[in-house]
Amino acid sequence: MADEENETNRVEMFEMSHRLRMKIGCDPKAEEEGFLNPEALEEADALIEELCKECPAAIAGHLETLADLWGRMRDMGDGPERTELAGDIFTTSHEIKDFGAMCGYDLVAHFAESLRDYIGQTELNLTAQRVIIQAHLDAMQTVHRAGLKDDAGPVAEELKKAVKIAIDKYR
Amino acid sequence: MSIFQREDRSPYDLSNITILLAEDSQYMQTLFAAMLKAFGVGEILACANAKEATDLLTVTQARRTSRYVTDTDIIVTDWLMPGGSGQELIQWVRGHESDDVRFLPIVVVSAYTTELVASQARDYGANEVLVKPVSGTSLASRICSVIDHPRPFIKAPRFFGPDRRRQDMEFRGEDRRRMKAEEIEVQHGR
Repeated sequence: MADEENETNRVEMFEMSHRLRMKIGCDPKAEEEGFLNPEALEEADALIEELCKECPAAIAGHLETLADLWGRMRDMGDGPERTELAGDIFTTSHEIKDFGAMCGYDLVAHFAESLRDYIGQTELNLTAQRVIIQAHLDAMQTVHRAGLKDDAGPVAEELKKAVKIAIDKYR
Repeated sequence: MSIFQREDRSPYDLSNITILLAEDSQYMQTLFAAMLKAFGVGEILACANAKEATDLLTVTQARRTSRYVTDTDIIVTDWLMPGGSGQELIQWVRGHESDDVRFLPIVVVSAYTTELVASQARDYGANEVLVKPVSGTSLASRICSVIDHPRPFIKAPRFFGPDRRRQDMEFRGEDRRRMKAEEIEVQHGR
């Protein structure tokens, strides 16, 4: 019995070798940490900067897609097509969230995450969806039109409050 | 800061390294692949979710020819991906029967800003967690970290993954650990 308990609680530790250091031709026992070429880091940052220049236009495109998807889904009855459209809304809002978070558009990313989580969890074909999805969409369009980035500040708080009221009231 | 240049040393040459990149967003996948390419990573295997990643790992494992070489060296994965999440990928990797797979270093990139996701990712067995927005420096530091600091792996009744303890800090509270350090069996991993 004691042996069984010991076996159940057994903890093993695996010491790891510096396999990757050896693979890149470095001394596995070197005490100093390695580094990457600073020019490579600059190049990587330039790539991010380049991508983020496209961010407002990309978000605008995604918001149009969302509005289109929602326009088709809003008055549709329950069924496979509605489920498919909900899946597309999930994916599009997820994309907005990723893009926004990467490029510092935190407020639009906040609402996109909230919409994605909502549509990913909720039962379809509820009256509540009409209000809640529309509230998210309106909030994101307002944020985008006003060029708001930070998810703090009076306007951001007001918009978050409006969406939260819709969620709390109709969920 | 380790990732910045030292006058007397050369930067890491990653041309011999293969990174599996799992990221569902086409924009982000392209960006991360380009950043890793800029770092000089030799091969980047890009895929969109955990399912594709496990398929790729299975295929690359099968084509492995030398016991000293694995085709994937580091996994960089998004956390939430439709079609198979980062969590599922980590569970698959850490539960794999082959040591070449289950000990692979995993860097999770997440757009979540909560500590909860970072802590969840570590509890599932991630080596490093990187929160978006990502910079060249932050991604490079995680890559260098898994190269420079291969943390010991712990196999416990409900956990298999890199040791989650990062600091040896003095603890003044009651010691509630059920095992003494000397009772832990030490083995040699990869």
